[in-house]
Amino acid sequence: MAVAVTGPTLSAPPARPVSARHFVRLKLRVMGNNFRGQGWRVALFVGGAVAGLWFAGTGFFLFAAPGLADEGRYALMVAAFGGGLTVLGWLLLPLVFFGVDETLDPARFALLPLSRRTLVTGLFAAALVSVPTITVLLALCGLVVTAGSLGGWSAAAVAFVGVVGGLLLCVAAARAVTSAFATALRSRRVRDLAAVLLAVLAALLGPLQLLGIAALSDADWDRLQGVAEVVGWTPFGAAWTAGIDVAEGRVWAAPVKLLITAATIVALLAWWSRSLESAMVGAASAGPARVQRGTTGGAVTQLFPRVLGWARRDRFGALVAREARYWWRDARRRANLITVAVVGLFVPVMVNLGGSGFTIDSAEGFTASPASSPGLSSLSMLFVGLLAAVTLANQFGFDGSAYAANVVAGVSGQQELRARMAAFSLYVLPMLVVISAVVAVVIGEPGWIGLMAGTLLATYGAGLAVNCFVSVLGAYSLPETSNPFALNSGAGIAKSFLTLLAMLATAVAAVPMVVATALLGDVWLWLALPVGAAYGLGAALLGAYLAGDVLDRRMPELLSTVTPRR
Amino acid sequence: MTAEHPALSLRGLAKQFDGKVAVAGVDLDVPAGSFYGLLGPNGAGKTTTLSMAVGLLRPDAGGALVLGHDVWSDPVRAKQLLGVMPDGVRLFDRLSGAELLAYHGLLRGMDPAVVDQRAAELLDVLALGDAGRTLVVDYSAGMKKKIGLACALLHGPRLLVLDEPFEAVDPVSAALIRDILHRYVTGGGTVVFSSHVMEVVERLCSHVAILAAGTIKRVGPIDEVRGGRSLEQVFVEVVGGRTATGEELAWLSQ
Repeated sequence: MAVAVTGPTLSAPPARPVSARHFVRLKLRVMGNNFRGQGWRVALFVGGAVAGLWFAGTGFFLFAAPGLADEGRYALMVAAFGGGLTVLGWLLLPLVFFGVDETLDPARFALLPLSRRTLVTGLFAAALVSVPTITVLLALCGLVVTAGSLGGWSAAAVAFVGVVGGLLLCVAAARAVTSAFATALRSRRVRDLAAVLLAVLAALLGPLQLLGIAALSDADWDRLQGVAEVVGWTPFGAAWTAGIDVAEGRVWAAPVKLLITAATIVALLAWWSRSLESAMVGAASAGPARVQRGTTGGAVTQLFPRVLGWARRDRFGALVAREARYWWRDARRRANLITVAVVGLFVPVMVNLGGSGFTIDSAEGFTASPASSPGLSSLSMLFVGLLAAVTLANQFGFDGSAYAANVVAGVSGQQELRARMAAFSLYVLPMLVVISAVVAVVIGEPGWIGLMAGTLLATYGAGLAVNCFVSVLGAYSLPETSNPFALNSGAGIAKSFLTLLAMLATAVAAVPMVVATALLGDVWLWLALPVGAAYGLGAALLGAYLAGDVLDRRMPELLSTVTPRR
Repeated sequence: MTAEHPALSLRGLAKQFDGKVAVAGVDLDVPAGSFYGLLGPNGAGKTTTLSMAVGLLRPDAGGALVLGHDVWSDPVRAKQLLGVMPDGVRLFDRLSGAELLAYHGLLRGMDPAVVDQRAAELLDVLALGDAGRTLVVDYSAGMKKKIGLACALLHGPRLLVLDEPFEAVDPVSAALIRDILHRYVTGGGTVVFSSHVMEVVERLCSHVAILAAGTIKRVGPIDEVRGGRSLEQVFVEVVGGRTATGEELAWLSQ
């Protein structure tokens, strides 16, 4: 019911200013309404909260360990590296895996008379209300314990202020980066820039890994301490190390570090508010439609991309052609493809080279022989295969209600799934071949190329099979915004669960390849490619056959789960 | 051929969403060759009924037959005879108009040469040829309706089910769509469409059904349902609406 209004109020000025409180309440209300009547969503949320709590507990003791064990010399390192990793993870994970919770889509506020400052502070406050924020806050409170036990109450108080500031920085950074990235991807010309940006971000994983391995090696303790000090003066570590500084007697450093944090937060929020505005305007108009003329050939010729010139002009061919076009034209799908390409290339290179970096540090000379083993290479390829295949985990969600066209036409489930795999593989298979070749050359073992490609193909095929089932049974709707990272509220936890589950199942299915690598020795270097390719193909076809049967029986149900609720 | 079967026959269709009844047992026979209007206020269950009739939504109870073929137990045959334009459902809109038509045609198992020829004709008649390679996502609302209609018509179905075909369409396009549908019915096809625009229904339809609160309130040939009055009068009486506002919105006039 409408609120009763006494007297004419049309010309009266708005009596109450809008504060961040309203945004937080709105977010909680939207989250609550999403749970209504959806038992499985509540269950997923509770599961996510429990998992978060477990992580929080583990993190807490990790960060509190130097204080509890009274090992003061590790305190700075734990704070600087652990905290820095937290910031970096907060920055990168939404881009690579999980997406941003867009419960409150900025575009919805475009018509309301709100100042930009109100909007940014409100959305920021609402963003703080989430399971991950609470998890991180609890975990990093371990630093307060460390600072307190080493330096008393004053140090603990400063550490607490630092932890809260660091958390604000994490959230602001994630929001600013994804928002800017989304805007960049939307204007189709800037997509190459986006690829470079992701590459740089992914490349940051490398040095971090080197640091981690070096830390384990215990070889160069003083140098590590020096690095920690430097990190402590960057925005990545400033907030977390302020309390430790007080505890170790450098009281003057604490206010400076807190100031660095505050300045960074302000800068990030300013950046966010700029890209927010363009996100809001972009929702109203995606710019003038370009009329492209110059059509050649009939409608059918136009549908098939040139690389598919050989395909039969039938139902299967049409499905493959449409999917192939979509992987490039849909910003959401393209973002996924770019992620697979960049992460798929950088992570194996870093993992395999990371091993060699370790040998250079601790061994006597700069020998060119990397410490990488066939087993390690197989494992890194396993990861790439997992990552590539898991992109299809919500393949029907990408289509949304448009999938109705296939339901009305009565496309059989098996055909549907096989076509989707084929179209995705058009992009991914060449990518995988390049990745295995580049990695083999970079680590100086061109002979392993067969081994790598074989493991990769087997994992990818097994992953396709697993994700067929996930995409049919665990589909969820994606919001119809132009932000390729947007997720519906509640779907975030569901998505990470499904992703992890699919990756785990795929890894299990691909274990025979790694075992064979470890057991069979040199023969396997040659056998791996044909065996792996056959294994992958067989697994994918079997997956399509079995999952297609399931899909045949629940097409309308799938359609209604991927249709966004309005 | 199948003259003994109605073009579309719904038997006791019912659907609930989260305990809320959307459609409460709809029986309907659409004679072959008729132009059938499904009328109802917002939220009456028109879209839900049509979705269940064409196999997009599984009913809680009841069934649907297209020219004698059950949509749920014999979907392949039923869907071949059926052309559908759903409302509020996206098209595969990152294709251009021609690409989208080619996709739908091949999906229906048509010969590529026939697809090419029909697609070119449809684009020409619907004045979508000028859009060239513009993606459907960049089309205006009226153009989207027209390309949706073209997709539904392409394979020459015997029964056309259209959900709100005249919503958000300008008068010129609406006249064009009316014209095409009229020709289709004259040629022996059957059209079922939902609408809440009385003028269009009065002008086009041979039969109407008025749906409100999930059940059919009036059904039959249009003159029978009207009974000498205007369709709007009958509709408002059946649905039971409130016509004037009194004191409540006084603040609207300053």
